[in-house]
Amino acid sequence: MNAIHIENLHVRYRELTVSSIKRSLLRGGIKNSRYTHALKGISLDVEQGEILGIIGKNGSGKSTMLNTMAGIFAPDSGVIDLGGRSVALLALGVGFQGKMSGRENIILSGLLMGFSEKYVREKMPEIIEFSELGVFIDKPVNTYSKGMYSKLAFSITAFLETEIILIDEVFSVGDEHFKKKSFAKMKELISDKNRTVMIVSHSLSTLRKLCTKMLWLHEGEVRMMGDTQEVLDAYEQNM
Amino acid sequence: MIKFFADIHKYKNYIAYAARAELKSEVANSFLNWVWWVLEPLCFMAIYALVFSFFFKSKIENLTAFIFLGITMWEFFNKMLKSCVKLVRGNKAIVSKVYVPKYILVLVKLFVNLFKTAISFIIVALLMIIHKVPLSWNILWFIPICISFVLFTFGLSLVVMHFGVYIEDMANVLNIVLRLWFYATGIFYNLADKLTGAVGYWLVRLNPAATYISGARDALLYARCPNLMWLGIWTVVSLLITLAGITLIRKNENSYVKVI
Repeated sequence: MNAIHIENLHVRYRELTVSSIKRSLLRGGIKNSRYTHALKGISLDVEQGEILGIIGKNGSGKSTMLNTMAGIFAPDSGVIDLGGRSVALLALGVGFQGKMSGRENIILSGLLMGFSEKYVREKMPEIIEFSELGVFIDKPVNTYSKGMYSKLAFSITAFLETEIILIDEVFSVGDEHFKKKSFAKMKELISDKNRTVMIVSHSLSTLRKLCTKMLWLHEGEVRMMGDTQEVLDAYEQNM
Repeated sequence: MIKFFADIHKYKNYIAYAARAELKSEVANSFLNWVWWVLEPLCFMAIYALVFSFFFKSKIENLTAFIFLGITMWEFFNKMLKSCVKLVRGNKAIVSKVYVPKYILVLVKLFVNLFKTAISFIIVALLMIIHKVPLSWNILWFIPICISFVLFTFGLSLVVMHFGVYIEDMANVLNIVLRLWFYATGIFYNLADKLTGAVGYWLVRLNPAATYISGARDALLYARCPNLMWLGIWTVVSLLITLAGITLIRKNENSYVKVI
């Protein structure tokens, strides 16, 4: 069964330079904006339970693709059909409201991801326990260290389970001990047969271990898609 | 438009929780904070009342209630616009990680400010009692005035938020515009008295903030019927601004992330 169906996906964004009234008055006129064509007609299908790795150079459209699937950008044309499945993007430094406590941020993130408050509250003890934040969970997120911040972010995404998980360069966070723990949790999440996963990474060895299928993006187009080992070998030779 | 209401329905729990959490965090950071919601407008009112009754010999009836009502409404408008100009940038952490319709962020701010304003209105009611303001059925006009005023503020906040993303010195310009607007609205003097003749006549009508505030004063303090025609006109304009704001944001919100 297909979990993800993408057809002829185009994403462009205007190279918007932030203008200022002062500057445009001094120079006269605002510069015309150009377009960057980030994704040029991507079509692919991912079956339920599959783990798709995405590789490609910087600027080849990998992150744009994940962001578009998570709904952060809308596609300019084309279809993304997730069959109504819930989706979460796991990227470094998930957004928190600095002035609010960790506990409140868990609920806010959960609500934004489309879960009910009741469900998030049920999951709360597990999230707090896994994050190892202890008393800090009731302190404002501003007071957290970088490590604590990412531990909380990781725990939220790991326990508020969605049917599709999009992972952008995050496998493990925190100190040595938490790294092991989070990598194990990530593996457990990924290997769930009902869950569909897309992973963007530059770590070829990790991808080789985890992925069942591989997509190679090159300048916004599909260069190659298929068996993990084959695509990775071709990619390595090309580099 | 349908999508706008569908979004509100979908995110209503988020709006409610986020607004509550924001209010709570303000109180938590300093214990006296919620006292400031009341104390700040009260102190401003005291200063203006002092200055204008002593130095300018103002003859306005119920001066404290007159000023306080004006300040309360103006501050709501002022705070909404000033916070919305930096709203997307300020929420960068959220905006770049998860999809949320951007007008939802404005709605959260709207409810936060409405709550604070509601507290101030309790004081307006107290001042009305102290002044023994005569009441009449005209007081009911206050409800449609509020609704229209909130709509106007919401619509303008949407537009300001959109341009605030792209124009980096928008906040500076907005500050200047708002200051001028403040004096053109007649918060601590009666516009129609100070500017006699055509200028004052048109300023009260063509400045929506003045229309709303003088309308509210008529309804609450002077048992008069407000200027319904101009209230009607500004309600229609508010609707159009809100529609334009929603369309503008819907069209552009996906590229916000690229700019901030």
